[in-house]
Amino acid sequence: MILLKSVSKWFGSQAAVDEIGFEAKKGEIIGFLGPNGAGKTTTMRLILGLLRPTSGKILVFNEDPLHKRLNVLANIGYLPENNPLYGEMKVWEYLQFISDVKNLKNPTDITDLAVQLDIEEVLEKKIEELSRGFKQRVGLAAALLGDPDLLILDEPTSGLDPIEQDKIKDLIKKISKNKTVIFSTHILSEVEDIASRLIIIDRGSIVYDGKKPKGRGGVEKLFKKSVKK
Amino acid sequence: MFALYKKELQFYLNNPIGYIVIVLFGVFANFLFVKDIFLYGSASLRPFFDILPWLMMVFVPAVAMRTFSEEKKNNTIEILLSLPISETQIVLAKFFALLTIVAVGLLLTLSLPVSLYFLVTTTGSRIYIPELLIGYLGQIFMAAAFLSLSMFYSSQTKNQIIAFLASVITIFFLIIFSTDFVASFLPFIIQTGLAYLSPITQVGALSKGVVDIRAVYYFLSFIIVFLFLTIIDVERRD
Repeated sequence: MILLKSVSKWFGSQAAVDEIGFEAKKGEIIGFLGPNGAGKTTTMRLILGLLRPTSGKILVFNEDPLHKRLNVLANIGYLPENNPLYGEMKVWEYLQFISDVKNLKNPTDITDLAVQLDIEEVLEKKIEELSRGFKQRVGLAAALLGDPDLLILDEPTSGLDPIEQDKIKDLIKKISKNKTVIFSTHILSEVEDIASRLIIIDRGSIVYDGKKPKGRGGVEKLFKKSVKK
Repeated sequence: MFALYKKELQFYLNNPIGYIVIVLFGVFANFLFVKDIFLYGSASLRPFFDILPWLMMVFVPAVAMRTFSEEKKNNTIEILLSLPISETQIVLAKFFALLTIVAVGLLLTLSLPVSLYFLVTTTGSRIYIPELLIGYLGQIFMAAAFLSLSMFYSSQTKNQIIAFLASVITIFFLIIFSTDFVASFLPFIIQTGLAYLSPITQVGALSKGVVDIRAVYYFLSFIIVFLFLTIIDVERRD
């Protein structure tokens, strides 16, 4: 589903990601773990075709996300870092807009998602009036519209309180059935709870790619061992 | 593309600032023409069409300044670019939405030809309707050209004020290229070249009711060049 081969991205003389490579198969839930500035967001933006790699090859659904952008994006749901939204729009207006741009035919999708993500009560509210937790759910709902095969979630629980974090984690687990999910985080317990596979990235390089360690605290030990101080 | 056009249009329709800008444009345009209406000595809207570029110099950049600056500042551009819609569609949807807003502003000035019509019929004269329509078409071309320029500047910065000022200053110079003021201190050849680049020179024939194909080409080229430059910026993946 996703293939990255020796992908690098340089910003000036700084390598944001350096010669990284991995493959993601259908149904995998990949936790992308790393400290701030490790290259998680850059990798996700490369997969989406929002950035051009300096070198290397990227294939998503066997197509180049830069040159076959529209084909690739039609089947991806994306929740960007810090979840930018059009605050002046009402929640249902925003979801309708995303649905229209994705050219979705079924208007019940929005209602179903609103029930699933528990945002029915705020559908008539302006996005700028919502709490951070609700905004995050609206962002997730937008990503899920059209039932995409691939979900890319950039720090989906960032800035949320522990209760909201748990709710979003449960939601991701619920919605991730039959999908490939790549989510980035620097919260170790999140990976333990959600991911089926773990990729640790540090200073632009992948330092671990494999199964999630078993048992509580396993991810933390692995992370500390893998990431340079 | 229509979904984005509708969203952009709704932003102005659901926002008091949109109404304020449009109404202010209508009020100023009407006032500046009406205050001297009895001094012109002819039943023509040409003096009005001479005033409009100066008003559009402020009105059009004010409407267009947020187009991409705000998307970049709030990072909502990332939402748009992660949806299955091409960069060309994004730019065109925004352009036509803004052009609709500007056209609504121009519609508010239709009270002038209507008033003028009733005023001149009492004296036995008449207003030549095709001249009027071609004159308005020229103004729409000019507004579209200013819009494409302002959208380009908006795509270059996250700061709306910088986009606004850069647009106003550029349009100001484009306007004064055709004036006697510039002609008075520049060599004739340079002044002639600059005057040709000025939208005021190009819109002149249309304001008189003459469909000048060269002017139409000029405006279409201007619009296409700046929309193309905007699309290139939105397509950047650095």
